[in-house]
Formats: sequence, structure tokens, C-alpha cells
Amino acid sequence: MKSERILVAMSGGVDSSVVASLLVEEGHEVIGVTMKTFCYDENQGPTRTCCGLDGIMDARSVADRLGIPHYVFDVEEEFTRDVIDDFVSEYSEGRTPNPCVRCNSNTKLRDLMARGEAMGCDAIATGHYVRRVEDPAGRGPHLLRGADANKDQAYFLWGIPLDLLPKLRFPLGDLTKPEVREIARARGLVTAEKPESQEICFVPTGDYRSFLSKRLAPRHPALTPGPIVTVTGEVMGEHQGYAGFTVGQRRGLGGGFPKPLYVVRIEPATRTVVVGTQDDLLASTMKVRGLHWLATDLPLPASDASAMHVDVQIRHRAGGVPAEAFWDQETGTVSVRFATPQPAVTPGQSAVFFKDNRVLGGGRISSADR
Amino acid sequence: MARIYLDHAATSPMDPDILDLMTQTLREGALNPSSPHAEGRRARLLLREAREGIGQALGLADVRQVVFTRGGTEANHLVVWGRASRMPSSPLAFSSLEHSSVRAAMEARGLQGQTVHEIPVAMDGTLDPARWKPLLAGGSAPPALVSVQAVNSETGIVLQLEDLLEGASECHVPVHVDAVQALGRIPVPLPQGRPSDPAYVTLSSHKLGGPSGIGVLLRNPDTPLEPALFGGGQEYGLRPGTEDIAGALGAALAVRKAMAGAHTEGPRLAQLRNRLAEGLLRAVPALRLIGPDEVTSGSRAPHILMLAAPGLPRDLLPGVLDLEGIAVSAGSACRSGAASPSPAILSLYGEEARHLAPLRFSLGTMTTEHDIDEAILRTTRALARIPALQGALA
Repeated sequence: MKSERILVAMSGGVDSSVVASLLVEEGHEVIGVTMKTFCYDENQGPTRTCCGLDGIMDARSVADRLGIPHYVFDVEEEFTRDVIDDFVSEYSEGRTPNPCVRCNSNTKLRDLMARGEAMGCDAIATGHYVRRVEDPAGRGPHLLRGADANKDQAYFLWGIPLDLLPKLRFPLGDLTKPEVREIARARGLVTAEKPESQEICFVPTGDYRSFLSKRLAPRHPALTPGPIVTVTGEVMGEHQGYAGFTVGQRRGLGGGFPKPLYVVRIEPATRTVVVGTQDDLLASTMKVRGLHWLATDLPLPASDASAMHVDVQIRHRAGGVPAEAFWDQETGTVSVRFATPQPAVTPGQSAVFFKDNRVLGGGRISSADR
Repeated sequence: MARIYLDHAATSPMDPDILDLMTQTLREGALNPSSPHAEGRRARLLLREAREGIGQALGLADVRQVVFTRGGTEANHLVVWGRASRMPSSPLAFSSLEHSSVRAAMEARGLQGQTVHEIPVAMDGTLDPARWKPLLAGGSAPPALVSVQAVNSETGIVLQLEDLLEGASECHVPVHVDAVQALGRIPVPLPQGRPSDPAYVTLSSHKLGGPSGIGVLLRNPDTPLEPALFGGGQEYGLRPGTEDIAGALGAALAVRKAMAGAHTEGPRLAQLRNRLAEGLLRAVPALRLIGPDEVTSGSRAPHILMLAAPGLPRDLLPGVLDLEGIAVSAGSACRSGAASPSPAILSLYGEEARHLAPLRFSLGTMTTEHDIDEAILRTTRALARIPALQGALA
């Protein structure tokens, strides 16, 4: 194999550490970089220390051990603009965003590529559990789900800019997480036993309501009490602001109902959180906006109204479900009809279209209907 | 590819003579000057030798003027904290170009309720007299300390200190000069007994080919300081802890060498700096000179050259050059290596600073003309890969 100069996005976790390690072993010239996206230190004074983030330090020690250069790129401004502002505005409008999708689509890969080119790099590698394979007819690479079904991250990558795909490398795509940990242990990488990060990176505590309350105006409607109403219009109580809610959620509604109740939808105009039973959560259709396609060699539901049979994934770890998708010229959206009704189809979340394991493209869910 | 080291403002490789002196000192036995035995006496003698070496090289009247600390940052902290603690109800002042060790200490005092003034510095190194003059006059409460750099470490701007020193002496306000980047490169005001001399001067050994982890605070012993650390009575009660004898000797030799070569080294470095600036600005017209308008301006230190590329990520270029075998920095960088515009650059360029990708070249005693030519060649080659800069070339 030809040796390349490859930029590796190192978060300081075990996955990207292994990527760097494997590429070094394959004889590539590897350059590690860590993106500083967010400062957790809320101090603004002389003691503000966002440059000591653990992730940066861990990435750096791995790079130092591997004997490769490592640079930190400060993308706090871009990240705030493209990812955090969107996160806040989506929640404030009663939707549930996927900030990781925004980050992969905008900030991370685009910024890495621009910097990588300045550094004379041929390719960018990340620790995502997805596969990139060449098209047999040479029409541009395919993005496929990772081999480890538990870790597959294709859902987060539908927004990759098309021109970047040929330059991306995903060395973990054929591996399972336990295999990756084993590789890390065998090489004595300091990150080998590091726990998974499940939360959104800029809300490490998972308390995004409190995060939102710091970023929205104090009297923002999303943080103002409003009614909890059933699908039949019965008022069940009051909530302290709909920003804390997401479709399908059961917690936080108060108890004492004859049947378990779930958030069915959020109506920001009246600050209403509509609740219902598990049956009320089911949707048979949805609309998807903001579309982006990776499989441009295939006929896609992007130009004509003839239905296409696809698998569609509507949340992380959910897997794909069969559906028909067709282009709606009038609204500029894709309409999706599920083969069987799906629970908790959540506005703001990504809908990703697959043909078998291949990512066709995706968009954001704008509405769901029974 | 041989590496070219152009980051002497960060640190310099050790001078072999200094390394020899230090290893020899360390090999020869236990070194605690407070000990009541022959070994202790030897240590005491060596420490005195180091102090005298610095005093003689710098024309100081009294060895007690030389206080060893564990680095430039600590010396700066000792002065700021020591003066602020001594006069907690008096204001403090510092220039907008100060190193983080002064700025952060000042800001920390500010958070504790002490009044802190920041004096703007113009591109030619002038401290805004409209700010410092009324401050010194100060009415009932003149400042406990005014802290100013001799040379700004990022831009190489030489601060014009004469008027301030003169004015401060008339008002009996002590001035601290952070000369970490200046000694051996340009003439530095020192506490030599004249009324307009600064009360305190900070030096750092590792910028001069000496060891890191040792700094020197020169002082006028008549201007009292509170210690910032508590413990034994070492260093005249100002810096407790067993002294670093080898470090002190290393620092003393570094200072002596710097002073001995100062007359020739400054002009030599200035010539190399000019060559570098002219070469790069010609080859990559998109690059912009930071600091005084002219490369050869007297307000620019001979060994520091900051250039910037507009419209690129601020932290990009040092990595690009590193991969070409050139060690440079973006100016001040925090521990992670990520760079935000420093308060100094922000004070000079305002919001524009956010759109400037800086490159600081800093030269040292070991830098040769061949290094400079090679650096021009490699930098030009590397920057040719960046579309934003190529656009400007067309």
C-alpha cells in the first residue's frame, strides 16, 4: 500500500487512539490533531483553563508515545456558531437536535480537511465505526454501516460533504469495539480503558436543560411554564418549560395517571406539551427536510415523486425500518411512509436513508403524522 | 531534513559551557547553603559567587539586589503579589502588552478588590501618557506598582520606558520592568542606583542559554516586598525553599555571556531578522508584518519577528511549519497548544486579531544566515499549499 500523509482526528478516546496507532503501523505518516470545540470552564477571569481539557491531554500523550506530531486546533468559534447555536435554537423551537450530526457535517470534517490540505495531507482518518468502500464502477466511494452493529455510527455521518468522502478513512469500520479495546491494550495505549462518552460533548453532565437555561434569554418561552395536555385536549398539569422535553419522553410529567403517559409532541406557539399513551406515539408518515445525498449514482427520492423503497433510521441505535420515500416538489421535503407505524418519530432528529448497509443520505425530521 | 529552531522567545537550547558548569557543580556533592557544615559552606560560597556574577555583569552595587526565583513567572508574581500585599489599598498598573504572569496576577488582585489599571501601548511601544500620568499623580493613593515589559514576547515591540521611569521617580512610584525578552538584545534599565531606575527587573535564565526553572529578580532593596510564598528565610526572606545552586550558577553564566556579547549580538540578530522579513514578505505578499510598520523600526526588538496571514485559522501555521522542520510558534500559547488571540495582540489589533493567523519567528545566538535562508525557502514552499494565500499571490 502507498504510504500517505494522514491527519487523524484524535479526541483523546480509545477509538481515535487506535486509529492513529494502526495507521502508524501501516507505515503512513500520521499527524494527530485535536479539535478544541468547547470550554467547560465557565470562569472568564485569569483562572480560565480550557486548554487543560483531559481529552486534549490524553490525545497528546498517545501521540507523543507513538512519536507523531500532534496539534490542537481551536474551533470554539466555529463550533459555537455551527453546532451549539443550532442546538439551542432547535430545542427552543420544541425540536430535538443531533449536535453530533451537525458537527460531522459542518465543523469537524470540513475544518479538518482545510487544515489537512495546508499541512500537505492526503487523507483524514477518524475513529467512526463506519466503512468507506470504493464503488465497483468507479463512481465515488460508498459509505456503509460499521461491522459492529452495536457501535455503528453511520447515523451521524449522513451530512458529510460529498467532496470529502473520497479523502476520508475509517480504519475501525471492520472492527468491533471489544477488538479495538484489545488492540489498545496490546499496545499499552493510555486510553485503552477509557469509558465511552455517551453524553453530548458540550453537556458532559447530561443536564441540557440547565445548559439551555444559560444560553437562552431568562424569560424565553421554552423556559416558561406551560400546560401539559392530552391528545384529547384534557389539561393534566403544568410543566416548567418545554425545553426540557423530547418526544417519547416519560419522565418529568408527574405521576398518578391511570396509564403511562409519553410526550407525543411539543407546540411551542402555545408552550404546550401534548401527552398520550404508547399508541398515541405511533406515526405512519413523516416529512424530512434539509436533505443531503451521498449516493448520487443511484436514483434518489430527490427529484421525482415516484416512491423509492428504502430503510430509514430515525434515531441513534434504532436500526433501519422499511419505508417508502418520495420527493414532494411543493414543500421541498421527502415524505416517508413507514411499512409499519413507528413510535416517537421526533422532529429535529436525523432521518437517514439506507439501501442495505449503504448510506444514501439523510435530513432532519420536520413533522410526523399518525 | 535538518530542523531549524526559530523559537528562542519560548526557550533556547542550553549553552554547552553552562551545561558543563552545572553538571560539574552537581557532581561535586551536597548543596544546601543553610547547612552547618563544610558542604553547606561550599554551597553558600557558590551561591554568593552566582549572585556576584550577576551583580558585576549588570553593574549593581549590592549583591542583595539579586534574588533567585524558580523562573521568570515566579519573579513576576513575587513583585506583583509582593507589592500588592504590601499596599492592599493602593492601585496597581500594568501595560496592555504584559506577559500572562503579570496580567493574570494583576487580574487576580483585581478580583480581590484591588484597583488595577491597564495602560495601553501603541504600535511604536509608547505607553499612553494620558493614562499613566494622572495615575502616577494619583492624589491620595499613588500606585503600589507599575509593571511594564521591556520587549513584548509576541510582537517584539520595544516599549518606550524612559518617560514613565522619569515620571514614576518624581512621584516615588516603583516600576517593575519585565526584561525576560530584552536582556542581551537591547539596553535594559536596571536598578543601578539612579532615581529613575526601575525598582524591580525580571530576568529568565533559559531565554539566554541557561537552565529553565530559574529566574532572577533584581531589586532595589529599599523598596520592600512581601513574600508570595512562606517558609524558610532563603533569598532574603523573599523566596523560601532550598536554593538551586547549579541553577543559580548557570543563570549567572548565562547573564554574563549575554552581557558580554550584547554589543555585537543585537545588531547581528537584527540583520538576520531583516533578511528573514524581507525574504518572506517578498515571497508571500499575503503575509503581513505585525507590530511597527517598518521591519527595521527601532521599536522592534532585533530577535523577534511576527508575521500574520489574514483569513486563516489562528492556530494553523506553526503546525504547517513544524512539518517542514521549522520550530516557530503563534506567540503566546497555553498548555494545550491551541491559540486564541492573546490580550496583547487584541489590545493592538482589536477584533481584527481574530482573523490573523500569527507566526512568530524568534532568533537566538545559535541562529545562522543559512538557517534564515533555509527557513525562507521552506516557509514559502509550505505556504504555497494554502489556497487562501495563493489567491493573494495571483
